[in-house]
Amino acid sequence: MAERKNPHPKSLPGGSVSTRSHKEGGTSTLPFPPRGGKGLGDGGADRVVLSVDKLRIHYATPQGDVIAVSDISFDLYEGETLGLVGESGCGKSTTAYGILQLVQPPGYIVNGSIEVDGTEVLNLTEEELRKFRWTGLSLIPQGAMNSLNPTMRVKDQIIDVIESHEGKQNDKEALRKRIFELFQNVGLPNRIYNMYPHELSGGMKQRVCIAMGVALHPTVVIADEATSALDVVVQRIVAQTLVKVKDEIGVSLIVIGHDMGLLAQIVDRIAVMYAGKMVEIAPVENVYANPLHPYTQLLIDSIPSIKERKPLKITEGITHDPRNPPSGCIFRLRCPFAWEHCAEVEPPPIYVEDKHEVACHLYAEQFEERRTDALATLANP
Amino acid sequence: MGVFSFNYLLRRLLVFFLTIWVAATLIFIIPRLAPGDPIGAMIARMSRQEGFVENADLIIEAWRKRFGLDDPLYVQYFRFIGNTLRLDLGYSLANFPAKVSELVGRALPWTIGLVGIATAIFFTVGNLCGALLAWRRTPRLLKIMIPISMTFTSVPPALFSLLLVYIFGFLLPIFPQVGAYGRGMVPEFTLEFFGSVLYHGFLPAMSIVLVTFGFWALGMRGMMVTIEGEDYMILAQAKGLKPFYVLYRYMIRNAILPQMTALAVSIGTLVNGSVLVEIMFTYNGMGSLIYSGIANQDFGLIQGTSFILIVTSALAVLIIDLTYPLIDPRISLEGR
Repeated sequence: MAERKNPHPKSLPGGSVSTRSHKEGGTSTLPFPPRGGKGLGDGGADRVVLSVDKLRIHYATPQGDVIAVSDISFDLYEGETLGLVGESGCGKSTTAYGILQLVQPPGYIVNGSIEVDGTEVLNLTEEELRKFRWTGLSLIPQGAMNSLNPTMRVKDQIIDVIESHEGKQNDKEALRKRIFELFQNVGLPNRIYNMYPHELSGGMKQRVCIAMGVALHPTVVIADEATSALDVVVQRIVAQTLVKVKDEIGVSLIVIGHDMGLLAQIVDRIAVMYAGKMVEIAPVENVYANPLHPYTQLLIDSIPSIKERKPLKITEGITHDPRNPPSGCIFRLRCPFAWEHCAEVEPPPIYVEDKHEVACHLYAEQFEERRTDALATLANP
Repeated sequence: MGVFSFNYLLRRLLVFFLTIWVAATLIFIIPRLAPGDPIGAMIARMSRQEGFVENADLIIEAWRKRFGLDDPLYVQYFRFIGNTLRLDLGYSLANFPAKVSELVGRALPWTIGLVGIATAIFFTVGNLCGALLAWRRTPRLLKIMIPISMTFTSVPPALFSLLLVYIFGFLLPIFPQVGAYGRGMVPEFTLEFFGSVLYHGFLPAMSIVLVTFGFWALGMRGMMVTIEGEDYMILAQAKGLKPFYVLYRYMIRNAILPQMTALAVSIGTLVNGSVLVEIMFTYNGMGSLIYSGIANQDFGLIQGTSFILIVTSALAVLIIDLTYPLIDPRISLEGR
């Protein structure tokens, strides 16, 4: 897993060389012009392909709006795999569906900006959005078990996405070869070509979804808990398939999940969400070795260990009503280090190092003393 | 393709013949549980008509012999089953020398035609309306219109046919009020005759369609709403498929399956429901025949028509069962 630590697949040995040339070949034919880097340096690997800015999503309820996603901002770099973690209901799936413009009523996007390769997704008309879907952003869904149409053959469900975006394919033989190639990418046998979803196992269905997700070589693929319904063995295989396909096709990937152990092995960066806010975004090795935000620390602490049984610390404190979030920091009701300042001011994202930001007052320069104390308590509880 | 297995076919056929056997047996038993027998009923009819029947006992004895009613029950039963298998349903008592099979043979095509066409129309229209009610992109005007037209559902079909006859047969004489084809026409395979049949069948068919389609529309709407929440609908949307394609290939295609089952179950009821409509329009189908059988206490006719209706329903269920694997690929493999 050592090679995965490098967030830039450019330096990966073997197959990734052809990957990049493939992607570069494809870039010129993209319908949307590529955008330059965000001033962070414009090396190819640091090109931002997806930029989410102040995305806010509410669910309307009779008692008032539930704030599911609250002003989230982050960038996804080309070729990068970003993990999105947090406890159930923290808004990670809603964020994904917001990016994909698939928020189902009563949910709605309040404000924000979602740019994919320089295209503002929120400004697209309905027909533009339809054409943009799957070529710009594709989805590997949460419940692969039920995500395939039960009355359509596997091949027809892949063909329909190809034909709705590239027009009627007259060369049936070429189409067949193309689908076989997709099958091969994800390790599926050709014999499932003519099968119906109910004739496949769960892992196979998930791989069909992966094959389908990359069929049009989208800019960004979002995998929404793609492995959570599978057993650990199949989980690993599917996760590896995901990474392999991602590297071969050269897309950027957002993986949503709550299995920290699995994510650690496949992602480059992790974004931690709490109650609709993004509290920390950091390269994966930083998150595990040196988590900064108190919530991230608790989350990492919650990973079960074989060597010792430890109590779950994260249940301490209360969760707030999502309709009336507390003032200041969203996490202060459960935070072991909270003080008055946390209730008064909402912590802005603080730049720690390259690609690492944390939204916690402890890391502001003026509170350095407090940080030292906090870290000391953490070391000797 | 869900090609049904031999096993599936065999099981379906078995259920079909079992249904018919049970039906035939019941039809044999039930009249025999009642006091008296058909001959007594016939003599009673005659005496009602003529006041007195000479040598009634002798006549009864002779006829009982002729119909084999003095044989032991099991002999009667096997003869009955044998006759039924040859579709010999015995004599009609009210139209005596006429055989029930002849009467049914004359009436059945009309009912199959009427109910068949009406079913095809209300099933299509009903499901389409239901689908459009649930679809997000349906024009608002249509979404208001459909529920209004569905208020007819609460009107009984016979009453509704009265209304239709009054409006379109009497006030605005666009359609004929009675009959299955033009007066003085001879049933033959010509375009003219066929046109006349359609012309005459329009109002009866409409009175069935208008009161029935709302039921199917509501069922379909419910199924569509369920389908809308399925995971594959979100994926279909994410895939950027064309909306109309999603409507028919993802939504209707899956929502229609339970509707097909419901149709198979309701076919028997449909024929019964058309009885009063047929009488309203003096349409000479099975409905009229059953009605006359009951009105005249014509045992043979009631037995024969009931049996044929059961066979028709069982046949319809069999046909739908056999086509089901073609529309739902999950059925054949599970063998259910």
